[in-house]
Amino acid sequence: MIHRLGPKGKVGLALVAGLAVLLVAGPALALEGNEYRQFLGLDSRKLIWFLAQMHLFFAAFVLGVPLFAVIIEIVGWKNGDQRFDKLAYEFTSLLSVAYATTAAFGGLLAFALFTLYPTFMGYMAGVFKDVMFVYALLFFAETFLLYMYYYGWKWLSGTRPFGLALRRILQATGAVIIVIGLLFLVGVIGPDMRGDTRAFIALLYVLPTGIGLMIMRDRKSSHIMIGILLNVAGTAIMQAANSWAGFMMSPAGVAADGAITGSLWQAFENVLATPIAIHRMLGNLAFGGLVAGSYAAVRFIAAKTAEDKAHYDWMGYIANFVAIIALIPLPFAGYYLGREVYSTSAIMGNNMMGGDFSWTFIIQAMLVGSLFLISNYYLWSGMTRIPGSERYYKYIKFILGAIVISFAIWLTPHNLPLTGGEVGEMGGSQYHPTLKFLGLMPAKNAVINLIILSTFFSFLLYRRSNKSEVVPISQQGRWPKIVIPLAGLAAIFIVGQYAVNLLTMDPASLDLPADRAQYFRTVGWLLVFECAVGVVAVALALRDMGKLAQGLYMAVTAFNVVIFLGVYGFVVMEQASPFLRNVAVAQFLQLISCLILVTAIDMYLFRGAKEIGPLQWGKMTVRSQFALLALTFIITMNMGLMGFIRSGLRGDWHIFGVMRDTSAWAYTPSNFTMTQMVGLAVLMFMVGVAFMFWLGGIAGGNKEEGGAD
Amino acid sequence: MSDSVVKAGVFLLVLLGAFLWIGKAITDLTGGEKTASAVVEVSPEGGEAVYWGKGRCFTCHSMGDRGSAVRGPNHGQFGERFPLAMGERAVERAKARSAKTGKEFTAVDYLVESLSDPGVYVVTGYKNEMAVTYAPPISLNLDEIKAVVSYLQIQGGDLDMVAIDTEPSDITKGFYDKIGAAQAAGGGDPGKGAEVFADNCSDCHMLNGEGGEVGPKLTGIAAKGLKHIDESIRRPAAKVVAGFEYHEVVRKDGRKFAGLKTRDEADEIDITKADGDVVTIAKAEIKEIVLDKTKTVMPSDLIEALTVKDFQDVLSFLMLQKAPPAAQQAEKEK
Repeated sequence: MIHRLGPKGKVGLALVAGLAVLLVAGPALALEGNEYRQFLGLDSRKLIWFLAQMHLFFAAFVLGVPLFAVIIEIVGWKNGDQRFDKLAYEFTSLLSVAYATTAAFGGLLAFALFTLYPTFMGYMAGVFKDVMFVYALLFFAETFLLYMYYYGWKWLSGTRPFGLALRRILQATGAVIIVIGLLFLVGVIGPDMRGDTRAFIALLYVLPTGIGLMIMRDRKSSHIMIGILLNVAGTAIMQAANSWAGFMMSPAGVAADGAITGSLWQAFENVLATPIAIHRMLGNLAFGGLVAGSYAAVRFIAAKTAEDKAHYDWMGYIANFVAIIALIPLPFAGYYLGREVYSTSAIMGNNMMGGDFSWTFIIQAMLVGSLFLISNYYLWSGMTRIPGSERYYKYIKFILGAIVISFAIWLTPHNLPLTGGEVGEMGGSQYHPTLKFLGLMPAKNAVINLIILSTFFSFLLYRRSNKSEVVPISQQGRWPKIVIPLAGLAAIFIVGQYAVNLLTMDPASLDLPADRAQYFRTVGWLLVFECAVGVVAVALALRDMGKLAQGLYMAVTAFNVVIFLGVYGFVVMEQASPFLRNVAVAQFLQLISCLILVTAIDMYLFRGAKEIGPLQWGKMTVRSQFALLALTFIITMNMGLMGFIRSGLRGDWHIFGVMRDTSAWAYTPSNFTMTQMVGLAVLMFMVGVAFMFWLGGIAGGNKEEGGAD
Repeated sequence: MSDSVVKAGVFLLVLLGAFLWIGKAITDLTGGEKTASAVVEVSPEGGEAVYWGKGRCFTCHSMGDRGSAVRGPNHGQFGERFPLAMGERAVERAKARSAKTGKEFTAVDYLVESLSDPGVYVVTGYKNEMAVTYAPPISLNLDEIKAVVSYLQIQGGDLDMVAIDTEPSDITKGFYDKIGAAQAAGGGDPGKGAEVFADNCSDCHMLNGEGGEVGPKLTGIAAKGLKHIDESIRRPAAKVVAGFEYHEVVRKDGRKFAGLKTRDEADEIDITKADGDVVTIAKAEIKEIVLDKTKTVMPSDLIEALTVKDFQDVLSFLMLQKAPPAAQQAEKEK
């Protein structure tokens, strides 16, 4: 009983504490002198940094895990596969202690902020008082729903249908909510809201709630509905907190002297609030997946029986799969966030990529490159458990070569860190005659796209490893004939609309002379070519030449994105530098369209194909499990590093342009300080996670001995 | 289980060790730990500290082989593209600016202009995107800007501290005044402020002969001071300029019209509404006319539509609106 009551007590304490500090916080204007305090002579900024990082690590875990736990539960429910249901339960069981720890760190962080930065927090509480109360109340909702979800698992496992009248009421209510959600999504409702905020709320709150009600027909689906509501509450908590983080970077609804001139909604819906929320949402999903994957890896390494090994191998695979699904769009969400940072302040944007944080981004490149490399290694290792995969081993060395070379190029800095003597030997320049080109954006854009394409190719090989022959699409009914053209249309639309944009773009909009239009047009026509190949690929797929369609579209995309635009980027950089960012967008859009169309074709290419042999779960090397662990450790470091960049972009401002940081710590810490702080937080978090997993193991053991939940 | 946890822990420590080593190596390469910026004196040394520190010039510019930024021109002597360092380059550019403007530019004038109004002369091949260094978030003060100018001038040129600090030329003084005015207005960016003004204000307010006439003319508005402009945007009804009072006309048929009374003849009046439309109403049809001093035609919620930065920018722009010579103004408004 203790482990059940303890977390609730801590959560309650943290909530009471949070409410108490809110109640005493009065509004204060920014022009009042900032007050800073210290605790035991410690560096207040570092203390806040550490506590915030710990809170965010645990929060990301407790927000990420329920997301995929519910998805896995739905998969098990729809397919009638109990293994998925048990897996979802096992993932959820990791949450109970983590949730209380998150709340405890949240309370500690709030106390530290209010006591060490009273002026700043007084002002924030003055602006966001109402949101903070909602935040605290949402905590109650999340707590209640989490315990309902976890402890009600068995109680709500029945599949006996509810009465017809009740089902109809639920379906009708769900349908109404879905319609409202769709109207909201397209802007019929709430037209004055920012589009991204509206889409975020419609897609993550309103529509899932409507769908959850629509599918409610028995106890099990009611349990899924609780899971959906749990995620809605968790995401809303995150969004509320993100509005504060966004406000600090792009304040709205207040004047330069801090006076509140607008509405609370304006402050809440500031420019960066939703881009940060989208990025964090995907990051949390990837992070939650990998932390759960590390749990599976540790259990796999410790497993004594073949049955246990098979189970934890499968668990690790699912967790990693979820993480990869979230990781692939993450760079694009990051691009969107970065673009909005630029739109908020060009200075903040330039500082991000070319100022204080340029070297931090080199470290980030190392970490992200490692994530992709290790993910590929895990996929290749996974192929050893698949009969028939031997046919594809020959491709691995080429993929590895492409990734390693790309990785090396991605890491190459523009100016080399050299000694004076070395500079002299190079003719007095810090720029190597050849390597300097690899440090520029055109080269980096080309290779990151190649890394993603290579990873995608590995994934395609993995998917078809134990399949014998393709199944003709013409024999698979109407769905592929609908889905593949639709995917083709989406791909063509994504690329085509940008082609039109480039073909009609006025050079003056980029402060370029009229004769530079040729560079826009060249890239525009390249995109038109990509669209034409998309049409051909769809036609080939529908004529049972799916492999050729995939090969053609991937090859053309690789050529356009990596080779043509990779080289042409240097020409653009020399002749029409401001246009280079549009070249990056063109590369990114072609890549996305390739992923969409090729995946759609792949879904049907081997559907129902004869399997060469069953997957041999558990037949994995221990090395592969260390790869899973490495992924977890690296993504955790990367989260800390990216948090450092995001927060550091404000420079010496608590609230950008409104409240200056006048403390002794108003400077950007070095990268060494960053690695020390992030490293410490990662170590403490992992120790905490290990402790939680151990506690979870004890609880699981007790239940098994007791024979009852 | 415990054995596998220990293995995982050791593995983590190895990775963290590598992470720390990378951070340390990079910090050593890039000049070590920074500290909070201190007050600088007007000198090349002070300018160097600002250039590579608070001013963040290094974000876009390099100085010869020092730094790696390529977004803006290199300020040192570097390769074929930059055969002259900035101090010498400024002398050449001053000649070009003199020829273009008809004013006698010195090297200091050119350097001060490039910091005060960087969009006036953009080096070929670069975008007009230089930040306003005296606006947030950089917010350099005038002494820090002077220090940077001195640092740039000693790059191959002869330092002229008299022209920079104690006895600036009329051209330089004009720029210093502009910087001072912008800083007084919270440090906004006047260039961006002009765009904000065009988007939000010019439909109703005339400035230098251009714009609408629903609101008062704003030519020379800087003379009324920052507080007046600030208040007028935030609380436009608090003090309404004579002739721009808010009238509400109720016709005998119950219809109401609100706006400025822009014409008052014996038998009819004109009401100019907030959108600029003019409604003529016969006096015989009027039930009553109310002069409402609590309202104004100017939207009271305009401030809500502006971001903090927009507000700072438009304030700094308006603070630069000094009254032009009467003859010039009359010509513009013809």
